[in-house]
Amino acid sequence: MCHMESIIAYFDSSHDLPEEILMAAGKHPFKILGDIHTPSDPADKYLFETFCPAARSILTEALRSSKNWNGITVAHGCDATHRQFDIWKRHVKTPFIYFVNNPLSRTSKSSRKFYKIELEAFIQALEQHYNVEISKENLQHAIQTSNQVKLILQKLGKLREIQDIPNREYFEVCKMAVQENKLSLIPKLHQKFSEWQRYPEFPSDFSKILLTGSDVTYPEFMVLLDKAKLRVVRDDLSIGERYYAALIPDMEDPLDALIEYQYLIPRPSTKHPADSRLEYLVEAYKSSHLEGILSQNLKFCEPYAYDSVWLSDTFKTKNIPAIHLERDYIAEDQQMFTRLEAFKELLDSQRRA
Amino acid sequence: MNLTQQTPQVKKKLVKTLKTSQKLKKIMAWYFIKGKIYSTLPWKHTAWSTSGFPTEFLWAYDVYPFLPENCATIAAARRKSQELIEYAEACGFCRDLCSYFKTNIGAYDAKLPAQFGGLEKPDLMTCTNTVCDTHVKWFQIQSRKMNVPLFVWDIPAYVSGSDEKVMNRYLDYITDQFWEFTDFIYDVTGKKFNRNSFIKTIKKADELAVLWRELFEYRKQIPAPLGYADTLGDVFPMFALPGVNKGIKFYRELVEEVKEAAKLGKGVVENEKFRLLFEGIPFWYKIKFFHQLADFGAVVTYEPYTWSFGVRREIIDNDIDKSLREMAKSLIHTPYWYNLETRIEYFKKVIDEYKIDGVILHNNLSCRPSTTTMADLKQVLQDELDIPVLLLTCDMNDPRAFSEASMQTRLESFIELLESRGRK
Repeated sequence: MCHMESIIAYFDSSHDLPEEILMAAGKHPFKILGDIHTPSDPADKYLFETFCPAARSILTEALRSSKNWNGITVAHGCDATHRQFDIWKRHVKTPFIYFVNNPLSRTSKSSRKFYKIELEAFIQALEQHYNVEISKENLQHAIQTSNQVKLILQKLGKLREIQDIPNREYFEVCKMAVQENKLSLIPKLHQKFSEWQRYPEFPSDFSKILLTGSDVTYPEFMVLLDKAKLRVVRDDLSIGERYYAALIPDMEDPLDALIEYQYLIPRPSTKHPADSRLEYLVEAYKSSHLEGILSQNLKFCEPYAYDSVWLSDTFKTKNIPAIHLERDYIAEDQQMFTRLEAFKELLDSQRRA
Repeated sequence: MNLTQQTPQVKKKLVKTLKTSQKLKKIMAWYFIKGKIYSTLPWKHTAWSTSGFPTEFLWAYDVYPFLPENCATIAAARRKSQELIEYAEACGFCRDLCSYFKTNIGAYDAKLPAQFGGLEKPDLMTCTNTVCDTHVKWFQIQSRKMNVPLFVWDIPAYVSGSDEKVMNRYLDYITDQFWEFTDFIYDVTGKKFNRNSFIKTIKKADELAVLWRELFEYRKQIPAPLGYADTLGDVFPMFALPGVNKGIKFYRELVEEVKEAAKLGKGVVENEKFRLLFEGIPFWYKIKFFHQLADFGAVVTYEPYTWSFGVRREIIDNDIDKSLREMAKSLIHTPYWYNLETRIEYFKKVIDEYKIDGVILHNNLSCRPSTTTMADLKQVLQDELDIPVLLLTCDMNDPRAFSEASMQTRLESFIELLESRGRK
């Protein structure tokens, strides 16, 4: 088990933070996800209510829990991450806070060069502050561990297509992957795999869908989908496939491997160009013989809201049944449920046809 | 004092604008016509570009810059923005997204003429993420729709606590991308980087910035000979024409007029009582607001927004690499997008220099990046500097977010507060 004092918590609006560097420093990376059931009063003092509610909830958690962490890192993702870093630095009490930059543009040679320099700077900052050495061997070992987690998650994710795996259970497993100590997690995931293999077959009255858009950070939304008989068997979310779809490649230089990995994962809408995001979704839809795509964005989550029209139009031209919804940051959402039911009816009518 | 009651009574032509400002219309007409010509002639090239991207880099290649944000402000001033925004929303874009973006979606699809905020299809698009990610998403959408190549200049975020070492790493990345930009331009237009033309254009752009800054120097005087009601229009050449002679000539005349007014102690507002700082983008559909401040004897004597367009980018020792590195700093670090630590120090400095009595903060509903640290800024201004602050929740281009009655009440209360304190 990892000791509390070795936890480094991180705020990451996607899957941008290289956890392996923290692991190589002997730290336990813990992704802060916020809590939908806790009012975001403390954060609301610093962020108006027209800001991303998930980001406000994450800041609330940091304000309350930072004493349990050994430090905090924030990865550059959407505008919220770097703009709000200033607020975190001013108000969250922590012995170490660091902004891990990475390029928005994923096309140029210079962006890879910049990426590597930023990762080297991150390593240097950790080494200096914690008086540790992050050696090449440590990094390679961390990458191996991380890949073990990703491999078993891939197997678990695949089971969704054939077994009756409730959306919530899948979410909880993915959440464990970004919050628990990796070494103690691996046997738990193997155990889960054995359990899931014994689950009943995929229920015929459920529709197999792909879930895309803003990251889902709380299980209640996944439960709502199950209630509407929509089963997420593919996704491109950070608490989901984005985290495990690709393995970190085996390369001579572990930093090159971590960078290459970032170019391989399902692309979030915060990076440029965004086209490969669509390619991933269409490929997943076809290869997993899905019935439809549910695209959603959390209220005030701009990057995914901007992409929504393009995605919807493209799905339409490709005859992919799809819907885009805006989601409030609430546990109980009857209005959302009604819309999900309507989507389910659409999918059922397609099925009958 | 009641705004709506007072305006009809006074029946004056709002706040008297400078004589030279009247010439702006001609300059804008010249710019629009040039855009039409460049779009028509097959050997000329045009681009769409965003704020934060150095427009002079396009002029250096004789590429005409269409500026969708500027066009959006024109649409708003012409009371067109709401219908354009509603059109974009009908297309599926949600209400919370940038109102400039949505105005542009509507204006382009409606094929509006330039004088109403319309713009032509370009040969290429350029943007940065230094102001916001919206610029990138916006141009991804439009470039995809028009099948036009897009260059994104990735500017790293210089967060609170960053030091010289961080800055140097970022400068390397930004200057590397400059050469990728020249490759991009070559690929699209066939034009090679011309050192002399580049230096010449940059020098002219810098001359324009020097003149713009000189105007701000006079605004430090009491009474201020120039207010936001003028600068929000007069900033246009700084935005669209850096590197072009037209803007320089206009600013020289403007400086002369303001200098003369300052010499005579002539304020833009008669009986100046309160000097204000306005943080944020103005409400382009309601620029009357800035004129009406005069009815209270108030004048906005400083605004980081227009100042930020006047950033100097100099040619140093005729050395391109050295100069680019200096220019790159302005892309990372400019008042409008300062990090919180710098923003606070900067506000302290300008409040002192411009002898500010009160600050108006625009909590701009569709520009979250600019408002992210506003709550902290407000608290520091009130607690540490003892400066009254009026926080207005509104929108830069969407009139639906502007409540006349509420604005009036809030402004009146703010003025009463200033009055109760008297001028320091």
